[in-house]
Amino acid sequence: MGYETIAILMFSSMMVMLLTGQRVFGAIGFVAVIAALALWGDRGGYDLAFASAIKLMKWYPLLTLPMFIFMGYVLSESRIADDLYKMFHVWMGGLPGGLAVGTIGLMVLISAMNGLSVAGMAIGATIALPELLKRGYNTRMVTGVIQAGSSLGILVPPSVVLVLYAMIARQPVGQLWLAGVVPGLLMATAFIVYIVIRCRLNPELGPVLPKEDRDMPMGEKLRLLQAGLLPLGIFAVMMVPFVNGWTSLVESSAIGAIAAFLAAVLKGRMTRQVFETTVRNTLGISCMFMWIILAALAFGAVFDGLGAVKAIESLFTERLGLSPWVILILMQLSFILMGTFLDDTAMLVIVAPLYVPLVGALGFDLIWYGVLYTITCQIAYMTPPFGYNLFLMRAMAPPEIGMRDIYTSIVPFVGVMVVVLAIIMIFPEIALWLPGVVYGN
Amino acid sequence: MTGALKRFVAVVDRMNHRIGRIAMYGIFVLMAILLWSSVSKTFFTPALWTLETAQFAMVAYYMLGGPYSIQMGANVRMDLLYGSWSLRRKSAMDAITVLFLIFYLCVLLWGGWDSLMYSFKYGGERSSSVWRPYMWPVKLIMVTGIALMLLQALSELCKDLLRLMGHDMGEKV
Amino acid sequence: QEPIRWRFQTYAGAALGEHVTKPIIDYINAASGGELEIELFYADQIVPTGELFQALQRGTLDGVHSDDDSMASPTPTRMFGGYFPFATKHILDVPVLFNQYGLADIWRAEYEKVGVTWLSAAGQDPCNFNTKKEITSLSDLDGLKLYTFPTAGRFLSQFGVVPVNIPYEDAEVAVQTGELDGMAWSGITEDYTVGWADVTDYFLTNNISGAWIGSFFVNQERWAELPDHLKELVMAAIEAGHTYRNQWYWGGEASLRARGDKLELRSVPAEEWAEVEAAAIKFWDEVAEEGEVHAKVVSVFREYNDVINQAGPPYTF
Ligand code: NA
Ligand code: NA
Repeated sequence: MGYETIAILMFSSMMVMLLTGQRVFGAIGFVAVIAALALWGDRGGYDLAFASAIKLMKWYPLLTLPMFIFMGYVLSESRIADDLYKMFHVWMGGLPGGLAVGTIGLMVLISAMNGLSVAGMAIGATIALPELLKRGYNTRMVTGVIQAGSSLGILVPPSVVLVLYAMIARQPVGQLWLAGVVPGLLMATAFIVYIVIRCRLNPELGPVLPKEDRDMPMGEKLRLLQAGLLPLGIFAVMMVPFVNGWTSLVESSAIGAIAAFLAAVLKGRMTRQVFETTVRNTLGISCMFMWIILAALAFGAVFDGLGAVKAIESLFTERLGLSPWVILILMQLSFILMGTFLDDTAMLVIVAPLYVPLVGALGFDLIWYGVLYTITCQIAYMTPPFGYNLFLMRAMAPPEIGMRDIYTSIVPFVGVMVVVLAIIMIFPEIALWLPGVVYGN
Repeated sequence: MTGALKRFVAVVDRMNHRIGRIAMYGIFVLMAILLWSSVSKTFFTPALWTLETAQFAMVAYYMLGGPYSIQMGANVRMDLLYGSWSLRRKSAMDAITVLFLIFYLCVLLWGGWDSLMYSFKYGGERSSSVWRPYMWPVKLIMVTGIALMLLQALSELCKDLLRLMGHDMGEKV
Repeated sequence: QEPIRWRFQTYAGAALGEHVTKPIIDYINAASGGELEIELFYADQIVPTGELFQALQRGTLDGVHSDDDSMASPTPTRMFGGYFPFATKHILDVPVLFNQYGLADIWRAEYEKVGVTWLSAAGQDPCNFNTKKEITSLSDLDGLKLYTFPTAGRFLSQFGVVPVNIPYEDAEVAVQTGELDGMAWSGITEDYTVGWADVTDYFLTNNISGAWIGSFFVNQERWAELPDHLKELVMAAIEAGHTYRNQWYWGGEASLRARGDKLELRSVPAEEWAEVEAAAIKFWDEVAEEGEVHAKVVSVFREYNDVINQAGPPYTF
């Protein structure tokens, strides 16, 4: 059997295994060890799965993962974001769709304080969702806004996805994070533009908040703005020492987690119950990610052992004779396609090692590509059948929101994301400008 | 027979629950190590052992906490089809596919055991850092974690079999 | 007839491996007439570098290119592979030590005992420093977090260096994430080749060893199975690779120091650096105490260094 056949066999059997509904890490791990045993025969091969555990241990940036997850849970469970929400509520309520616009604003701030979309989803579903529904917002608008908004968590720094990408593409995390800032804000703006236009055309989607709900003295209104200081403070405590090189990436993530924890304690929100949920969920989600990466690394090692990288490279460049841009667009399309099925960590660990060197070889900037990749992951988070935000939304949404609502709600937002993706592909400066200014290159 | 299965499930779940509850607090150990790393570097000489110790702590955290995460249902599944099935159908499918998970964990354990045995040979394998800790303690933690994960997977299998036999084992997570 | 297939992993990442390992593999694949096909994998691709030895012993990998130190060799040679402080001055010292002063026999015997066949060793670049902060005196080393070899790290820690051990391919990013201040790992050729010159600013011309000692290893059974004519071919390819590497490094070090524009050269005055050399003499004594083989290797280094010191330049710069 040729190696290419084996590679295709591995991928397709992984897909089938995933469809059975077994835990993702089990499905990936099983295909990996079976392939390893088959390929290596009696000459070892059985140790590849465990060698991945050693590899994973040495992958030091992953130490940031539980820190960012912890931070996210502290923020969502302790409800220190409530004040933030109230701020947006009062300030934006007067616009048609204003609360949805405010939710996007909230999500941007939440994104600046954690590296995944989990916290944004939790906060969105617990604080924003009930409030928006109560105010008569359209269910599809609401679930779409929360899923799309929380996905900014991986584009706006800090970002776990960009940390993983940095390791695979061997690119500086600091630059990648900064490269995500403007595209993240652009994306948020695009969501807002979409919401405003939709709600102008059809005001029933997002009714204006009654005047008495947002009427308060200007002084009090201004005081509410202080709520925005907290996320900025936590962001600064974490990012300033890191960007200046005083602390390393993993140290900064711990400082951020501790800062968020202290903020919750000082605000009197760290109750026993909150503490318990935060610590327990941090373990659950961290384990989920780590075991998936563990299995995916074994899969990747076997895949590497097949020489699959070379096969794909020669397929694209030599056999098909495509131009770099066509290849890039094809790659993004295939990423989006795989993203609908695969988990983003698995996608990154399995597929990115095949693609990233090729992107580099084609002469594209790998910092810029990291941003493109992250946006693809955002899309993957929301698209059925497999997406974290999709799962979380389903778990957290009240019963009156059906599966169909959740699935259809993402369509326009995915459309917006694809447009932003295209804009950043055409104008790389959007991503590269800020790191250029800060790091001077 | 069913009594034995139920006892096995009860014992394994209780043990893994306890271990997981302890591992859960490992997040604070990790924070403390990394905080000390930043403090020592800012005010004194950077500590030699922090990065590696943090890595070991992380391994203990996710390996020993793994079975508890399965109990919590934190390990995602692709539920395109699975999500719409009845409890019985889910149990039937899981009773088969969990064997794949068990197989994976067995191979992982096999490699881990081999590696653990190696770490005792030749005067004891030591890490390549200057701190040069012996590798067997962390490998022992890994092997233990994988073994516990295997037991948890077996417990899940037992639960599914019991469900198929008509016992009430609670909702699936 | 089915070709014999080997999986071969090098300690080097793809960019460096292109020069230090790939030419040999290409040569074997081209010249064996389809009888032996070797697939080359770079740092950490199949197994992490620290696991190379175990993987080789078990047969997960059939061949390996690495220094003894990086691959966590269980033999006493571990201390001496990579960079043993001030053991060598130039790249050619290494083959001389192995082939004329008996190190080859020691290496072959030690690996024989642990089920691995040692084939050949060669020299590479000196162990200089490339850093973000400039080093102009010994005290500048204090507190620097450097990516370096285990033994070199153990030696340098007495000058306040904090050695950091991470996967090879992660070192560049680690400088940017602040996990590292630089490297004490290679000569300037490697700094430019793998991209470290892009993330650091200074190159210290003082070195702690004049040449890296690295070897080629094969799984014992795989080697025993190989027909004699292919064994000859493998050895010839390795020798050819050594020759290519000698030139690549020798020429690269000179031209990049003279013409490279990414790293500024710095040096610690020779009088001050003598302190480091003095520390190495003590370090040798310490290591010689650790065992019989250690003592034997150290005595070979002593003998050879006596000879070149008497001979004078160019052997002693
Ligand atoms: Na973020
Ligand atoms: Na998806």
